[in-house]
Amino acid sequence: MTNNSLPHVLVVDDNHDNANIIRDYLKARGYPITVAYGGEEALEIFERERPSIVLLDVMMPGRDGWEVCREMKQNPDVAHPVRVIMVTALHDWTNKRQAIQTGADDFVEKPFELAKLVETVDRNARMLSPGR
Amino acid sequence: MEHDHLLYDGVTGLPTLQAAVESMRRVIVERGELLILYFNFSRYSKIEEIYGWEKFDAVLATTAAAMRAYLHDSPLRSSRVMVRYTNDDDFVFFHIPEPGFEAANDQQITEIISGLQKHVSERIEAAHGEDIASLFDIYAGRSHVMVNPKFRLERQIYRGVRQAVLASQSVEARETVKKLEDLRESIRTRGVYVDYHPIVVAETGAIFGYEALARGVMRSMRSPEVMFEVAARGDLLWELSRICRSRAIEGMQHRFDQGELLFLNVDPGDFADPTFSPEQLDAPDPKRVVIEITERTAIKDYPKFRNRLQAFRDAGYRFAVDDAGSGYAGLGSIANLEPDFIKLDISLITCIDSNFIKQNLVETMIRFANDQGAQVIAEGVERAEELAILKELGVHLVQGFFLHPAGNSTHTPEHLPLPGPMSSGQAAPKGPDMRAMRSA
Repeated sequence: MTNNSLPHVLVVDDNHDNANIIRDYLKARGYPITVAYGGEEALEIFERERPSIVLLDVMMPGRDGWEVCREMKQNPDVAHPVRVIMVTALHDWTNKRQAIQTGADDFVEKPFELAKLVETVDRNARMLSPGR
Repeated sequence: MEHDHLLYDGVTGLPTLQAAVESMRRVIVERGELLILYFNFSRYSKIEEIYGWEKFDAVLATTAAAMRAYLHDSPLRSSRVMVRYTNDDDFVFFHIPEPGFEAANDQQITEIISGLQKHVSERIEAAHGEDIASLFDIYAGRSHVMVNPKFRLERQIYRGVRQAVLASQSVEARETVKKLEDLRESIRTRGVYVDYHPIVVAETGAIFGYEALARGVMRSMRSPEVMFEVAARGDLLWELSRICRSRAIEGMQHRFDQGELLFLNVDPGDFADPTFSPEQLDAPDPKRVVIEITERTAIKDYPKFRNRLQAFRDAGYRFAVDDAGSGYAGLGSIANLEPDFIKLDISLITCIDSNFIKQNLVETMIRFANDQGAQVIAEGVERAEELAILKELGVHLVQGFFLHPAGNSTHTPEHLPLPGPMSSGQAAPKGPDMRAMRSA
């Protein structure tokens, strides 16, 4: 996959420092990035820009990551499939089961290592490419 | 608009009832009458229970598209028609005759319902396979609303919908009585046959054993889900289960190669049947019989249940936990049963190749099974991509349509007619059914 075809990533985290670090790190690897600092803002950007990958923090004031994920996945858009990666520690079976139920595709343990985060974004980007 | 998603159902793309009433208000008032058809898909919740929500959403989307296509081409198209999705398994259809057109009469409605049933069933079978289509049953009810300006329009429509719902329920009640009669007849004549679904070694593709799926010979009892649902209503579960078990074991003796195992579904409730014992089951070689117990059914008296299991274990029978990981319960409840085999819930397998959380869960289950000395079976494998990931993750055994599709069962004992009281006119049908549901 060339950098030109890297999918658009929406990073959602109410912690500005975290969001900005992820943005800079992924941007340096060629991903087009948009950042949202809350659930509502994330849904607005999602509607408007149709990102292909969403990195979603779970613990946010107002609409949390689970709710946002459910909404994003609720209206399947065949032309613009979205991969949602939850940024949270899914320690046990119940957490992971819940994550699948909301429609999440992947997760990154928090606190995350940036290398692991990129690896996770990369593997989800590969799932979006035709003829993978 | 912030609440747009409340006006349209995300899965089917159909508008909600409230939005439909609002948009049709003027037309309904102008015409002064409205015909409401209510369609209930009686066993749709089972699809979610067995296959998980992703498959269920896909079936709902297929259903809605098929209904829209059929109704668009039906004789009603000269009138204003809308289809509305209201709940998880029901649809409402409004027929507002255009000026100069009569509202559809009873005969036309009956024809439309029957045609719709056939059309949607065919679409579902083509898209999702025979097993899911066999769960498809529409109960339709209708009501006719003559608009009265004295009453609020919304209330008249909602009352009309309720009347149509009640009408569909009475149709369902009549059907249920008829099905119960069919089941009694099936039990009396032992009119049950068994489909054997191969379970293969993931790495080599060699046959490891077969899961027995009991089906009624009568058309109305073809789906194991329907047969057991009717049996539960008629308090005939034990009677039916006894026949299914003995049929499965009879077939094993005639058709299995040496060393192949029989996987036999047993409901935890069957262990309370005093006649269900290792002696009664009487398999020629108990070591080749694996009793599958579903994790979905709650076990009430655990110590007693474990004692009953032990009696079978002592006789040589082995155990599998079916639908493992179907709920939120983790591995603890599975460990309690000390199974020899762990069958993963189908919802964990569907699209596992594209969901990394499912892969993580299956990996956890395999590690756990390896620690316990158990083997993991992945059922419901439908695609090469799913099989490839499952092999990579280290799943021991696999089962599903992809491995032995319809028409490729020459070397399996599937679908062969059983000896016994089944008449020649009622030979077991062929079919592409490779999915585990409910059986003996």
